[in-house]
Amino acid sequence: MTHLELENLTSDYLEGQLDTVRQAQVEAHLAECTDCRELVADVRNAIDLCHKAEVLEPAPWLVSRILLATVGGRKPAFWEQVAAFFRPALQPRVAYVVAMAVFSFSIIVNAAGINLRNLTVQDLRPTIWYSKATRTGHLLIARAEKFYYDLRVVYEIESRFRQLRSEPEQQEKEAPKDQTPGGSTDTRPAHNPQMAWVMIAPGSAVRAEMPLDFVSLGRSPSR
Amino acid sequence: MDNEPELVRRCIAGDNSAWETLLRAHSRKVYNLCYRFTGRAEEAEDLTQEVFIKVYQTFKSYDAAQGTFSTWLNRVARNHLVDHYRRTKKDRVTSSLEDESATVEQKPSEMEPASHVEARERRELLQAALDKLSPDLREAVILRDIHDLDYVEIAQILGVPEGTVKSRINRGRLELARVLKRMDKVRGQIDEP
Repeated sequence: MTHLELENLTSDYLEGQLDTVRQAQVEAHLAECTDCRELVADVRNAIDLCHKAEVLEPAPWLVSRILLATVGGRKPAFWEQVAAFFRPALQPRVAYVVAMAVFSFSIIVNAAGINLRNLTVQDLRPTIWYSKATRTGHLLIARAEKFYYDLRVVYEIESRFRQLRSEPEQQEKEAPKDQTPGGSTDTRPAHNPQMAWVMIAPGSAVRAEMPLDFVSLGRSPSR
Repeated sequence: MDNEPELVRRCIAGDNSAWETLLRAHSRKVYNLCYRFTGRAEEAEDLTQEVFIKVYQTFKSYDAAQGTFSTWLNRVARNHLVDHYRRTKKDRVTSSLEDESATVEQKPSEMEPASHVEARERRELLQAALDKLSPDLREAVILRDIHDLDYVEIAQILGVPEGTVKSRINRGRLELARVLKRMDKVRGQIDEP
């Protein structure tokens, strides 16, 4: 086998496509010829280098560019058009504003005492809205005021109660020697005629031992 | 792609979404073919775009009986690349010396990991060697050893008999091996002093 014949058979030899006779002839030549052996090794390396060639990624905008050049931009589907129409309204900022507007409107309608199910022409008059809203507003203020005073009474009773409970303990600490031998061990204060049961709110009775005049006033004795 | 014939049929009927699907499926392959042929990323992108415009315009000439869409696409791309090669031959001769020196002088970045440097050097070496081959041999080697196509498909793409394909691939590989060896010697001489 000549060098030129071996060159022509190199690819077939490397791909294993030679018949056994040709294969043996090539191998016999390679065993004798250093140059051809080197050439086959170089070709094998070249093929390996090609196989190792990485797949290159085109620029991400290439497909869009080609689409623009061919179909002139893709025509959006129906649902995409609908989504595009509502997209500005679905922005968080806009959604927040709309929600606040609905919330404010519902408060105004509720304050005005308007029943949206049985809406009449009369209900749409601003003067009616104003008068109803004023009335509801005053009611709300009155309720809030009442709630505030109720709460204040409760806190004052509680603080006074704690104060009365702590007083005998302090007295015991200050004068333990005054206690007579064999006397009562009850640490509760002696019955005070001014103490009474006080109803704070319907359904919740709080036992408070405190001056009646203070409870009846609903104000702090110092004020 | 399993549903490629259906996608092609829809494309011919004017379905743009099918065209987009086909485009996304094949753009990378065509880009790689163009890049291996030209060795320049920007030029490869332009050529890829031109190939797909041509495909879009000549879709109706595609005959499924003559082969798969992929083979037809490769043939269109190959013909376009050969036309481009002939068109730009004069420009390339004048700028080849500058490109060659630029390739050799390119230094790896200090921040680049060693594996990246190695991969980049290998890619540049292969590209520089492929650029030295004649277009006939280059395309045969690219289609066979990089795109891993079989001889029958390459023969369909190139429009030549299978025997010619085998001969070109063999000659291309021998030539590539010699070029790589020469380049290796040159690099060895540069590194020695």
